[in-house]
Amino acid sequence: MEKFLLKNIENPDSADINEYVKAGGYKNLSKVLESGPKEVVEEVKKSGLRGRGGAGFPTAMKWSFAMADPKFPKYLMCNADEGEPGTFKDRPILEKNPHLLIEGMVISGYALGSEYGYIYLRGEYPEANDILNAAIRQAYEKNYLGDNINGKGVRFHLSVHQGAGAYICGEETALIESIEGKKGQPRNKPPFPVNVGAWSMPTIVNNVETLSNLPYIIEIGGEAYSRIGSSECPGPKLFSVSGHVERPGVYELPMGISLKDIIYNHAGGIKDNAKLKAVIPGGISTPVLPPDSIDCAMDFVSMPKAGSMLGSGAVIVMDDSVCMVRVAYRALKFFEHESCGKCVPCREGTDWLRKVLERIEYGKGTEGDIELLSDIAEIMSGKTFCPLGDGAAGVVTAMIKHFRDEFEEHIKNRKCSLADSY
Amino acid sequence: MITLTINEKEVTLDKPVSVLEAARQAGIKIPTLCYHEALKPFGGCRLCVVEVERMPKLQTACTLMSADGMIVKTESEVISRVRRGILEFLLINHPLDCPYCDKAGECELQDLVNKYGPTVGRYKEEKRKVPESHKDHIFARNMERCVVCTRCVRMCNDVQGASAISMMGRGNHTRMEPFSADSFNCEYCGNCLTVCPVGAILSRLYIHSFRPWQVDSEVKTICSYCGVGCSLVAQVRDDSIKRVIPEMGLGVNKGLLCSRGRFGYEFINSRERLKTPLIRKKGRLEESTWSEALNLVAEKLSEIKKTEGGSAIAGIASPRCSNEDNYIFQKFMRMACGSNNIDSVSRTGFAAAQKYFEELMGQGITANIIEGLKNSEVIFVVGGDPTSVNPILGLSIREASRRGAKIVVLGNAKGLERFKNVQVIPPVFKEADALEELLAGVSGARGVRGEKPDIDRGISALSGKYSGKSDIGGLEELKNALLDSPSTAIVFGMDLVQRADGHRAIFAVAGLTYLLEARLYLLSEKPNEQGLIDAGCVPDMLPGARPLNIHDFKTKFETAWGGAIPDKNGMTLLEIIEGAKNRDIKALYIMGENPVFNLPDGPFVKEALGSLDFLVVQDIFTTETAEFADVVLPALGWSEKAGTYTNLERRIQLQKKAVNALSGMEDWKIITEVSCKMGYKMAYSEAEDIMDEIAEVSPLYRDLSYREIGKGNCLWPYHGEPLRGEIHELPAMAESSSGNYGADFYLALEKPLFHSGTLSRRSPALMKICPEPTLKISSAAAEKLRLQEGDRVQVSTSVGSVEVAVSIDESIKDNKVLLSNNFEGKGVFSLLTYKLDPVTKAPGIEGCEVRIEKL
Amino acid sequence: MFNETVLKEIEEIKAKYPERRSALLPSLYIAQREFGWLSHEAMECVSKALNVPEAMVRGTASFYSMYKHKPVGRHVIQLCTNISCMILGAEKLVDFIGTRYEVQPGGTSPDNRFSLVIMECIGACGTAPAMLVNTDFHENLSEKRIEEILDKYK
Ligand SMILES: Cc1cc2nc3c(=O)[nH]c(=O)nc-3n(C[C@H](O)[C@H](O)[C@H](O)COP(=O)(O)O)c2cc1C
Ligand code: SF4
Ligand code: FES
Repeated sequence: MEKFLLKNIENPDSADINEYVKAGGYKNLSKVLESGPKEVVEEVKKSGLRGRGGAGFPTAMKWSFAMADPKFPKYLMCNADEGEPGTFKDRPILEKNPHLLIEGMVISGYALGSEYGYIYLRGEYPEANDILNAAIRQAYEKNYLGDNINGKGVRFHLSVHQGAGAYICGEETALIESIEGKKGQPRNKPPFPVNVGAWSMPTIVNNVETLSNLPYIIEIGGEAYSRIGSSECPGPKLFSVSGHVERPGVYELPMGISLKDIIYNHAGGIKDNAKLKAVIPGGISTPVLPPDSIDCAMDFVSMPKAGSMLGSGAVIVMDDSVCMVRVAYRALKFFEHESCGKCVPCREGTDWLRKVLERIEYGKGTEGDIELLSDIAEIMSGKTFCPLGDGAAGVVTAMIKHFRDEFEEHIKNRKCSLADSY
Repeated sequence: MITLTINEKEVTLDKPVSVLEAARQAGIKIPTLCYHEALKPFGGCRLCVVEVERMPKLQTACTLMSADGMIVKTESEVISRVRRGILEFLLINHPLDCPYCDKAGECELQDLVNKYGPTVGRYKEEKRKVPESHKDHIFARNMERCVVCTRCVRMCNDVQGASAISMMGRGNHTRMEPFSADSFNCEYCGNCLTVCPVGAILSRLYIHSFRPWQVDSEVKTICSYCGVGCSLVAQVRDDSIKRVIPEMGLGVNKGLLCSRGRFGYEFINSRERLKTPLIRKKGRLEESTWSEALNLVAEKLSEIKKTEGGSAIAGIASPRCSNEDNYIFQKFMRMACGSNNIDSVSRTGFAAAQKYFEELMGQGITANIIEGLKNSEVIFVVGGDPTSVNPILGLSIREASRRGAKIVVLGNAKGLERFKNVQVIPPVFKEADALEELLAGVSGARGVRGEKPDIDRGISALSGKYSGKSDIGGLEELKNALLDSPSTAIVFGMDLVQRADGHRAIFAVAGLTYLLEARLYLLSEKPNEQGLIDAGCVPDMLPGARPLNIHDFKTKFETAWGGAIPDKNGMTLLEIIEGAKNRDIKALYIMGENPVFNLPDGPFVKEALGSLDFLVVQDIFTTETAEFADVVLPALGWSEKAGTYTNLERRIQLQKKAVNALSGMEDWKIITEVSCKMGYKMAYSEAEDIMDEIAEVSPLYRDLSYREIGKGNCLWPYHGEPLRGEIHELPAMAESSSGNYGADFYLALEKPLFHSGTLSRRSPALMKICPEPTLKISSAAAEKLRLQEGDRVQVSTSVGSVEVAVSIDESIKDNKVLLSNNFEGKGVFSLLTYKLDPVTKAPGIEGCEVRIEKL
Repeated sequence: MFNETVLKEIEEIKAKYPERRSALLPSLYIAQREFGWLSHEAMECVSKALNVPEAMVRGTASFYSMYKHKPVGRHVIQLCTNISCMILGAEKLVDFIGTRYEVQPGGTSPDNRFSLVIMECIGACGTAPAMLVNTDFHENLSEKRIEEILDKYK
């Protein structure tokens, strides 16, 4: 497939505006400024674009809610928090193709009637921060940003807001709190950000990859775009593949491609021909899959049927040197560390789950611990304030479901047989 | 109209509320922990989960809005399981030290666990350990017990507006901490204590001293500190007050309190309380019996009345005493002593201002409901910081600001620093000029109103005086804010009354009130400043603020009281003091007041009192003034007696008796005894009888009774007849302030948050919060004088000098330095001289140059 | 208090947002740059510059793990041990750094050269294990690579 999101990134100067323009960049913006904002929305609607941040919400629908709200100003937030472990798909756009994102944001802002954009960039990407700021400066110089874009009297201002190490700030309402200078704790919904978002104004939060699809949709038209990949969630998708594969990395592939295909064809199969043990298909918040379940289509609709979720499309591949209790324990350490502390089930549940998993992994587990884990996960599940806590519970439940024997073995043998690998 | 079904019960709502509130309205209780009625819903604890038809997941009732046709179930097997699970989660890190914890018995977690909780926990790991912190003088902080409901922080940020505490960290390491991590260094309102559901924050005043279920009685009464008159509950055990708490939804304060109200109650148990009457014998005050003391007072006063005439006798009433006390006091002065020389220390502020405002604008002009402040679009604050003088009123201003009101301030107001939109700092002591200029500007834009010709004339006269272009930074913006506002409130503090030209500021504010149709609020430091005026403790007015020189009023009271009232208006407070010095006044009767300390030019006041032939002081402590007395009579204080108080919005409230005093008598009772001995009969068996008489004789209080007052909604104008403004001729106004204020620093009065009058220094808790006075200086002054926070300095004026530490106050933006008048031997009044305002007769204390030397 | 240049920098940041509090996170980064870490004094300066109450500044700062809440060494190693890195040996690298450079997770070496912070995912899973030293990415780590890299940070 022809690459669009990752086009030209081998060029060492790909982040420079001149290179970007040379390769046809910003022409879609110019095109849009001629045709008008309504056309953009129309094309996005036709394209069937779904958000790439994890939830797969139809972008045109989110936009229409914000546009229906009469309040001004409206704010466009680019979610560049990319915190889901295993995910590194937005990074190449941010570092190698920043103008694609900027162009996408200006187009979106124009369509939405928003004149202010912010890129919420995770603190862990200091290089991307420098690159984005340089790119924004260039875009201002070339009049792709500012008060009179392309001389058309269109206004859009953009700046980078650097996060400071909090996974939860990827959640859109937490992101808004964080931009407002507060702790990144999720807000109650409704009201939704599209009505009452940043500084109480209508706010659209979209992922980096989502926004970067806009120039492409304009270029080929919504119609043509909707025919790429899955019919229900079309378009190109970035997959970050890591772990025990021959060729880890970010792959731009059509939505709906099979997980197996990604691992065995694109990523070159299991490293050193080892035996596949498990795959986390969409970042560590998504339920783990055993080898016999990986022949599934990677999109937002099919994955739940396969027992997991597409999430951010972060595929973590594990061979049989990996202890699944260890993985579950490490995942819960993450969730415990990242739980914002607002709601009881997540705050206390992740802590407790981690402690029980820790004792099982270190050979101190006791009879009944697996039931205890399931029970804690069940109380959490569906009762937390936001999906973070839910995700944590789901991870444990899936681990027990697919790898129960490993848990039992740990408890019975009072040790981890693979402990030496760490 | 929304109709929903909760537990098969139909609930109809007239406005949309959360499912939780809808259920409560229907009498169905849903368990909660992070929810609190004073706070916005949070949705953190998840205990309030309910089942809603057609919603796949359980919903939190506190955050879910009711919708028409909703079908809700608040109890089920599934729900109980979740609640049990959540409680088990909460207990994993909870120390379960209920037998030791002071919250046990009123702990929401304990109650919930009793009802829904697991019987045994399955958590085996080690619990989170956080040592209890006692590093603050008032708050004990135990973060092991904390359930991270964030109620304290939300209270502190969203309601109190102090923002002194925060939830620190994240996830399961979250804990509440003040900025310093140790001492709170906050406004010490203690409202966080009210909302903490567990024993995570406790007041050290009562910690380990009693259990919530061990109280003998809970008395709903009102606070004795300031003119707001907050409702509170005194919890009593063994005839002593163990704790003071507010009650949600109750009274003017609706469940909030300030530091003084909540922690300042201990003065009543002070060991320094007066126990027996004292009589001066051979120059020393010695204990005596009641009858000896009362006889002596009656004898002496009768003698002086006979030889010198009633006008040689004067009385100073008290804004800390009840309406009944004050009514009896003035009746005694007028009828038994034959003197109209009655005034109070309120003359230095509230009484002077209030009276002049009413003369200009009519009675009741200041009777505005505090709660209404919240709905103003613009609040103009001038003459003091409401958040320290009347903290609960200050909170309404902060709330208005959060709701989008514009707060415009003339002068300094520390507690509004983060809330104000416009601030104007006039040249030092030229506030009246700034206000007049503002008034001229407003009238320029609005024209005359034509309803009060005298005032219109006064305003027109001003208009000629100002060019219309202001040199004062921000005044134009302030003016425009006022002109643009559809609903304006003016909050007027007493700082500008204490000027030799204070009447100009009052006139200007009255003019603004009139032109803008604003609501006027006067700050009132003491609890019964309004009541004292209405009771007749002013030299020129009878009860109900009926002018003495209107013949009809006078004769009516004479008939009711059975005797003649002297014709001539009496002397005002400082005239009385000066009269004592000139020997026009021979005998002075002081009820519940400490003029030696509370009036400017302390040395002069001492000299004046020293010149008297006879001085009676009736008080609960041996004050600086009592040192000069011939007879000292021990009275009863707050919580030891019943009585009514009139707050600054003119709401009359009942202060109840909660404990029995060991000694002392009600103020009114002492006076009636003296009166009887002097031949004027007064007989009441309790305070209520006095109110019955007041209701009969004073047209303002017609038909009032304790029963009605007790309901808490006794609001102006009661059933009475207010008087229209009676002014016929404006008094001659002083010219623009002529003073040439070119000195480096001027000394001015500070009204601090943690102290009030001389009462608070007998409250150990308040003394711990603020143990000594400091000289507040601006950072510019600190730089100029090379002073640092805490440096000790000698502060000297022409009349005296004291040694204090300095503290740097960023909110001071002119060349004043401030000192409070609350600490023994270090009151600012001992350093200030005064000039009387010719109209209001309040002492002007401006322009006092001061020398500050580092020690 | 911050010097004029820093205050100007903060003013410029404030101008990017409709409300001054929004400048809090960026200002904390600046304070950290100026003071080396978020000391009490540093947070007081931020509080004054933004007119945001001190307790709010501290509370907010404490929520974010990338602020330095205590003094750190000259170089900060931020090593990821999340799953993709863990399964490729990141935890052994923690031990290695610990012995080789005398620095434990959350601590600073006695010579004040390095501080070590264990990170959740830093978005380098495709080139795991990975770390950031100050603001530089280093990927495909092994004990040998780490030695080569860290030796350059004096
Ligand atoms: C705990 C949590 C973490 C999230 N992290 C991210 C993230 O790092 N990046 C992102 O784009 N979306 C993240 N999301 C999803 C956002 O909430 C939101 O759905 C997304 O930014 C919307 O953009 P999209 O419509 O373009 O997908 C996260 C959601 C949750 C609940
Ligand atoms: S589930 Fe609760 S505690 Fe966890 S991150 Fe979401 S709101 Fe915070
Ligand atoms: S009361 Fe509803 S979540 Fe706490």
